Amino acid sequence: MNIELRDVQFSYGPVKALDGVTLQIGEGACGLLGPNGAGKSTLLKVLLGFLRPDTGEGLVLGHDIRKDSFGIRRVVGYMPEDDCFIPGLDAVAFTALFGELSGMPRAEAMKRAHDVLYYVGLGEARYRNLETYSAGMKQRLKLAQALVHDPKILFLDEPTANLDPQGRTEILELIADISSKKDIHVLISSHILTDIEQTCGSLVILNKGKVAAQGELAALREVRFSLYELKAKGETGPFLEALRHGECRVEETEDGIIKIYLPEAMGRRDVFRLAEESGIQIRHFVKSRTSLEDLFARTVGVD
Amino acid sequence: MAIAERGYTHWPGSLEGGRRPWRVLEDFQEMLKGADKFLHINPAYFQAYYGSSFLIFMMLMIMVGSGSGLIADDLRHNSLPLYFSRPLRKRDYVGGKFGALAFFLLLLTLVPGILFILLKLLFAGSFAFLADYPWLPFSFIGWSVFISSFFSLYTLLLSSLGRNRRYAAILMVAAYFLSDVFFGIFYGIFHEPAFCLISVQMNLRQLSAAFLGAKPQFDVPWIYSFLVLSAVMVAAVLVLRRKIRVAEVIR
Repeated sequence: MNIELRDVQFSYGPVKALDGVTLQIGEGACGLLGPNGAGKSTLLKVLLGFLRPDTGEGLVLGHDIRKDSFGIRRVVGYMPEDDCFIPGLDAVAFTALFGELSGMPRAEAMKRAHDVLYYVGLGEARYRNLETYSAGMKQRLKLAQALVHDPKILFLDEPTANLDPQGRTEILELIADISSKKDIHVLISSHILTDIEQTCGSLVILNKGKVAAQGELAALREVRFSLYELKAKGETGPFLEALRHGECRVEETEDGIIKIYLPEAMGRRDVFRLAEESGIQIRHFVKSRTSLEDLFARTVGVD
Repeated sequence: MAIAERGYTHWPGSLEGGRRPWRVLEDFQEMLKGADKFLHINPAYFQAYYGSSFLIFMMLMIMVGSGSGLIADDLRHNSLPLYFSRPLRKRDYVGGKFGALAFFLLLLTLVPGILFILLKLLFAGSFAFLADYPWLPFSFIGWSVFISSFFSLYTLLLSSLGRNRRYAAILMVAAYFLSDVFFGIFYGIFHEPAFCLISVQMNLRQLSAAFLGAKPQFDVPWIYSFLVLSAVMVAAVLVLRRKIRVAEVIR
């Protein structure tokens, strides 16, 4: 396991930001999902040693989060959520500085800065003053400084925040490339579900400081419920009422498709049985792939 | 007429040992005859330099120009998480900022002091000066380190109080000069020398006189000035410990 936490608690005064968080994160890209205020950024700060947990233990790549935060920071690259840079520098000097601060020799840091700036797509603009960078360029720059010392794991806090669709796609492609081809594990904190869905193989969902769900994304989709889409002829009111009575979640789309989220206790035959009892005909019935949005809504308990 | 047709005449003089490079210094010494006052470097000379308003003004300019944004800019541009996501302690960060500023301030304090001593030794041609004042090198080195440390911490303190380097610069100048203005007002009304303790500049002058073996301007024990300036430095360290943090935790 790359990251293991056991019963980690952290409070901001009376507010429990992390409440008994226990999790294991393996290789590849993992999403840290949750609504605003769920404790995602706090968890990243605890993992980096910025914040000392009130109770609990944890390891990041074998380094203790309480005793060896320097060891963690040597092997972790961190991309903060906020815009952050040092005024008056160009991208090369900025990136090389953080390489040096990570312990690289000056000449190596400078060479590496050029390499990673080319990798993130800032090669042509690397001698421009950072104050002139656009939001998308600043995001790439933050990614470059996180990569400059060749970390084993990257912590990305809201990597697509404030980006236009094109910029968002480019950053997500970079992250996917890093996690799949560059042998760097990635932990992405985000509340944008599609970002996680596009880039991550596993997932931790936080809600109110607690782990609401964790595991492989595919397994999480399967285990919780099954989603079917159907079209029906006839008066569907009693049929839908009967489904809801059976603890199914039911949604109707504008084009007349009914989406049914079946709990594990119910099967397809139950749907047809209820349709027959309600006197309607089912004209269209397909099993649909559950989206992350559905999983998130169910886990966190929001619509 | 071509030069070859002029004929050749012998030089009537006799050759000596040849010129050595250090003869240039002798020539220079010859040129400076009569400039005894300039070359008469003694403790009072050091006191005049280190206690001069010009030196302190120049230091203030360095602080305002290159020191006001040292921490304020990092706070404004959220750079602290970037620094501290590296294997870097808080004291490494503050120490780096302190060192950068102190280096430039020492260029105005320590370096001239060393040059004064070297020039004196050079032109006197003996170590009599050091034999007469053996404590002087230690005094000016100690004072240079103290005043540079004080101004570095003073600058970092005020730079950490806000996110705008301009406000920090204004605060720096205002705190320095207003303390002097208040001293002038109170001293003018009450004629009490102890009011010099509220002025940054007067405290520095009192202490520089003590360091360099000169008579302080006011009849107030130098230790009080030392305590006042030390208190500012301790306050700066405490404020920096509180302000420099990567994650704000309000409990």
